[in-house]
Amino acid sequence: MHLLEVLNPVATQRGVLTAMTTTPRPASLDNKTVGLLWSGTHGGDVALKRAGEMIQERFQNVSVNFYTGGNYPAPPPIVKQAGEECDVVIGATAD
Amino acid sequence: MIEIEKMGKPAVPIVSGRFELDAIASARAFAMPDLQFVLVPRIYRNLAIDECISQTEAAIDDLIGILTAEIDEAREAPQITTTERFEGDDRYDAVQRMNDDFILRDWGDAMPLYPPTQEAVDALIEGTNLPADHLVCDMPPGFGLATVGKIAINSAMAGAKPEQMPVIIAGVKALSEIGDQGGKSLLMSTSPHAPMLVVNGPIAKEIGLNPKSALGPGRDNQVNITIGRAFSLCLRNIGYWYPGHMDMDTIGTTRKFVHCVAENEEMSPWEPFHVNQGFKAEESAISVFITDGELDVQDQGNVTAEGLLKTIAYGSTFGTRSLGERHTAERLIFMPPDVARPVGAQGFTKRGAREFLHHNANHSLGKMIQFMPLEGEARVAANWKWLESHTEQERLNMTVPLLESADRFYILVIGADRAKTLVMPSGPSPATVGIDQYMG
Repeated sequence: MHLLEVLNPVATQRGVLTAMTTTPRPASLDNKTVGLLWSGTHGGDVALKRAGEMIQERFQNVSVNFYTGGNYPAPPPIVKQAGEECDVVIGATAD
Repeated sequence: MIEIEKMGKPAVPIVSGRFELDAIASARAFAMPDLQFVLVPRIYRNLAIDECISQTEAAIDDLIGILTAEIDEAREAPQITTTERFEGDDRYDAVQRMNDDFILRDWGDAMPLYPPTQEAVDALIEGTNLPADHLVCDMPPGFGLATVGKIAINSAMAGAKPEQMPVIIAGVKALSEIGDQGGKSLLMSTSPHAPMLVVNGPIAKEIGLNPKSALGPGRDNQVNITIGRAFSLCLRNIGYWYPGHMDMDTIGTTRKFVHCVAENEEMSPWEPFHVNQGFKAEESAISVFITDGELDVQDQGNVTAEGLLKTIAYGSTFGTRSLGERHTAERLIFMPPDVARPVGAQGFTKRGAREFLHHNANHSLGKMIQFMPLEGEARVAANWKWLESHTEQERLNMTVPLLESADRFYILVIGADRAKTLVMPSGPSPATVGIDQYMG
C-alpha cells in the first residue's frame, strides 16, 4: 500500500475574500423606476423591453428607462447612470 | 449587474441556459456570490423576434420574484483543502488515482499529471528568489490569488523544472497586465481566444526554448510545451479558466494547450521584440499575446522585400471586424528568418516593415462586416452609423485599412528555414514582463 500526499492546485479567489451581499429587495415594484440595461446584441433589447412592458402591466405607476452604451460590457458611465436613476435594473448578459 | 448591486440597487441579469455555470462562477469571481439571475433556454442573438418575446414572457414570474424577494439560500464558496491524499497498491497506482480524481474535478488538461508533492513543489520554489506565500498577482479571468506556491504546484503538475519557474511566474504576471483586467472578457468569450507566450533574452537559450519550428510536438519542443502547460494549468486552477464555467468557447481551439516559444534572435535582422517593449537586449522578458486564430501565409517564390511583405499583408486580411468606436484588432506575425532576413537586408527596419504592412493590408469593409446586421445594433458606434444609409453593394466597394494603425502589427522572428509566415488575429495589446526579477 502506498499513500501519496499532494498539494491542492486551486487558488482562493479575490472575490471570495471580498464578497458582498446583495441589496435588500422592495416588496413590490409599484411606483418604481425600472432600468433596462442592454449590452447591444440582437434580441436582448427585445427581451428587455418586453420584460419592462410586463412589469408595467402587473404593477402600478412603473416607469421604464432603457440604457445602452453600445458596448459589451456596458461602459461604466452608463451603468452608473442606470444605478443612479432607477430603483431596480434588469440586464441581458450572456445573451 | 454586480456594479448596480454595489450601488445599493437590486439588479437581475437574464442569462441564457448554457451560461448558468458561467453566471455562478462570475458572481463569485466578481465578489457577489449570491447574485441571482433569470435563466432562459436559448441565446437571444440568434433567435427570431417572436422567440425572443416568448422565452422572456415565460421567465417573467422568475424575474419579478428575484427583484422582490430576499434570497433564502446563500451560495457557499467551495472549500479549498491544503493537501489531497490518495492510496494505491503502489506509488504508480496512487498516482493513477490522483490523476483520475484531478481530471474528474477538471484540475488537469486530460493528459497525465505529475504529482505535486511537497518535495516537488519545494524544488520548484528553489528556482525563484521569492517565498511561497509571495503574491504575484490576481490571475484573470476568475482572479485567483497567484502566489508563488500555487504557481509552483501547477507547474509541478506540468513537469516543470526549477530553472523554468522565473519564466512561468513572469508569464502569469504578464497576463494580469493585459488590457482591461487581464483580457478577462476575451478569455471568457465564446470565441477561441487563447494566450501565446514569447520569451526574449538570454534565458531562452539557457533553458532550451526552441525558436525554430517552435509550436509543434516532440523532443525539440519539450521546454516550450512544459512551460506553456504550466501556464495553462495556472490559468485553470488559479485563474479559474474552467471550460463551461469561465471558458465559454463555442468550439474551442488547440491553442488553449498554451505554447511558449522563443524569438529567433540569432537569425533576426532586427532588434528583439522585448527591446521594442522597453527592455534591454541583455535582459530576459516574456510577452503574452491573446490570439484568436492562425493562418499559414505561404510565399511561393518572392525574393523582394515588397513582394514578401505584400503577401503577408494580404494574408493578414482574413476575418471580420467590429464597428466599435475604436478598432482594436491586431495581428501577431511569426515571421520566419527566410522572410525576415531578405526584408531586413533590403533596407526595411522592423518599424518600416510594419508601416508597409499597414499600408498594404486593406480589405473590403462590406466583406468584413457583411454578415452583421447594422440596423438597431447598439454595437455599431456612432462614427459608423452612416453605413446604414448605404447599400450592401456600396459597402462591399469600400476599401479600408485592415487595422487602425501600423502599431497594431507585431512582428516576431520565429521559425525554421522556409518562407512560411504564421499570422494570428490578436489583441488587446500584449504585455511584457521582465524575467530576471524572479530568478533564484
